[in-house]
Amino acid sequence: MSAVFLNQVEKLYGSVPAVRGIDLEIPDGKFTVLVGPSGCGKTTTLRMIAGLESVTSGSIFIGDKDVTALDPKDRDISMVFQNYALYPHLSVAENIAFPLLARGAKRAEVQGRIEEVATTLSIFQLLNRKPKELSGGQQQRVAIGRAIARSPRVFLFDEPLSNLDAKLRVEMRTELLRLQRELSTTAVYVTHDQEEAMTLSDVMVVMKDGLIRQMGRPEEIYENPIDTFVAEFVGSPRMNLIRGRVEGGVFKSPSGVSVMVPYSAHHEVVLGVRPEDVVLDLDPANGMPGRLEIVELLGPRAIVNIMCGTHRITAVIEISQLTGLHEGREVGINFRVGRTHFFEAESGLRINF
Amino acid sequence: MTISKITTRKHFEPWRLAGNILLTGAFIAVSAPFLWVFLGSFKTGTQLNNPTLILFSPNLANWTRVLETGILQAAFRSVIVGLITVSIAIIVGSMGAYSISRYKTGGSTARFGILTAQVLPPAILVFPFLDLAYRIRVNGTLVSVVAAHISLVLPVVTWFLIGFFDAAPKEVEEQALVDGLDRFTAFRKVVLPQVAPGIGASAIFGFVISWNDLFYALILAPGNSATLPVRIAGFNTFRGVELGAMSAAILVSVIPVLIASFFIQRRLVQGISGGAVKF
Repeated sequence: MSAVFLNQVEKLYGSVPAVRGIDLEIPDGKFTVLVGPSGCGKTTTLRMIAGLESVTSGSIFIGDKDVTALDPKDRDISMVFQNYALYPHLSVAENIAFPLLARGAKRAEVQGRIEEVATTLSIFQLLNRKPKELSGGQQQRVAIGRAIARSPRVFLFDEPLSNLDAKLRVEMRTELLRLQRELSTTAVYVTHDQEEAMTLSDVMVVMKDGLIRQMGRPEEIYENPIDTFVAEFVGSPRMNLIRGRVEGGVFKSPSGVSVMVPYSAHHEVVLGVRPEDVVLDLDPANGMPGRLEIVELLGPRAIVNIMCGTHRITAVIEISQLTGLHEGREVGINFRVGRTHFFEAESGLRINF
Repeated sequence: MTISKITTRKHFEPWRLAGNILLTGAFIAVSAPFLWVFLGSFKTGTQLNNPTLILFSPNLANWTRVLETGILQAAFRSVIVGLITVSIAIIVGSMGAYSISRYKTGGSTARFGILTAQVLPPAILVFPFLDLAYRIRVNGTLVSVVAAHISLVLPVVTWFLIGFFDAAPKEVEEQALVDGLDRFTAFRKVVLPQVAPGIGASAIFGFVISWNDLFYALILAPGNSATLPVRIAGFNTFRGVELGAMSAAILVSVIPVLIASFFIQRRLVQGISGGAVKF
């Protein structure tokens, strides 16, 4: 167990920057998720922590040890890859034992540990199989088993769930979380899936173009996105972003959206509102008039698309509130008071009142 | 499913037939000389003048004559040369192929140019070899033959293995680095086992190249260190070709190659098709 520190870490591939000098403190014993669109530098960052990529400049510390120039084997880490990377020529038991044996443990000593790990992950009956005889989910369990066989200072996960089908992914997500809580080992997890990031993380790090855009507890980021990128990236369906102008305490968009704001300066801004903060009224006179276009049922909730002037607004509403709503119907649109976000039109940065 | 299968078959029936005829023809063209040599090794001098003679009472004179000339010792020397050549070629070639595959060492020049030496006629290289062997006083010994054979076998083995290394996932090796191995140990314990089928096939392939070489062996080590092909060529004497003895000697040389080819044919195709192997 150790915290991980990145100080001004930069990575160039030739002259192309992948990571542009980031500072990051990954807290001890917590589950930290690096999330961002592809090419944002999250995997490169993880691989630099692992020692699989060299660092162009800056330094990396695991605990109080500078590991910047150390080989992966000397960093005391475990890693799970997206494609599981099981040793194809070794059995499941040998795969799990590998990190122990590679570090000089005796075969007789590790037997107990193999069985323990296999029991934790319910793969006991697979111990004698070869990786190619396993399903994707089983391979994933073996890869995780291999990672927890030792007690490393840090777990690194590189999109470990993205090759699994949806149902299994959710199951394994819960299981990973349970394991990490039990072991309380520092974990760094990379994903492009913001939902996975939200559910797994104690600390969420949103990256874009080789830079950290925002870092914090997931609910913090969800509630107070620092800019329009984070606002759109985190949350599903996406936040509604509407460009417009504030004049005399009223936000007006060219597309016809108009909202009262506690904000007086004349300013080009972007208004953001989460779909769940859009309220529909059956009477078009109560609120901005809009026309209901498409209703997508999700089970207990539904995603509703409404045309407001020329702007499409997404709302998420409870099924119980769907009564009387049908495609084509005119409705009144309101945004929940205090739940709107404002961003500068130019920079996209959040405006705090 | 069944119906469409039947239809497809019917559709291609004439092509299938033509293909089979072609293959049968090719088989006969290739195997007839073998049969001829096989029969020839049991014929007397007079019978040998009649290549179409199939029914005759076999005689072992050629075989006893061939054994007296030390053909087995020559075969043994060929085995030694082949084994040493292949061992060195596999050790060096696997590392070279790994480097070319993983680290793009030498760029596409190395990857695709590695067989260039194979295109050169051996006559170009044999003189420098002979000169070098003479200077370091290994001329006329098997050492010089091994050295020359490595120049033939090493590029082939390396080229053959590149595709196998390409097919071995990089993450498995990175996993080994994280799990506590250094780069070389990871290569030895995790990467090499994944390409084991390729190593086996290229070893046999390389052995056959060395086993069959006449040119280098003849010039670099005639006389007491002669390998099997050199001994076989020796039956072409000033009195003419000793066809019977030569036939027996050829069989001694061909049988191991036939056995080897049988084992590697599948892997050979894989290697040539770029190592697209699913392990």
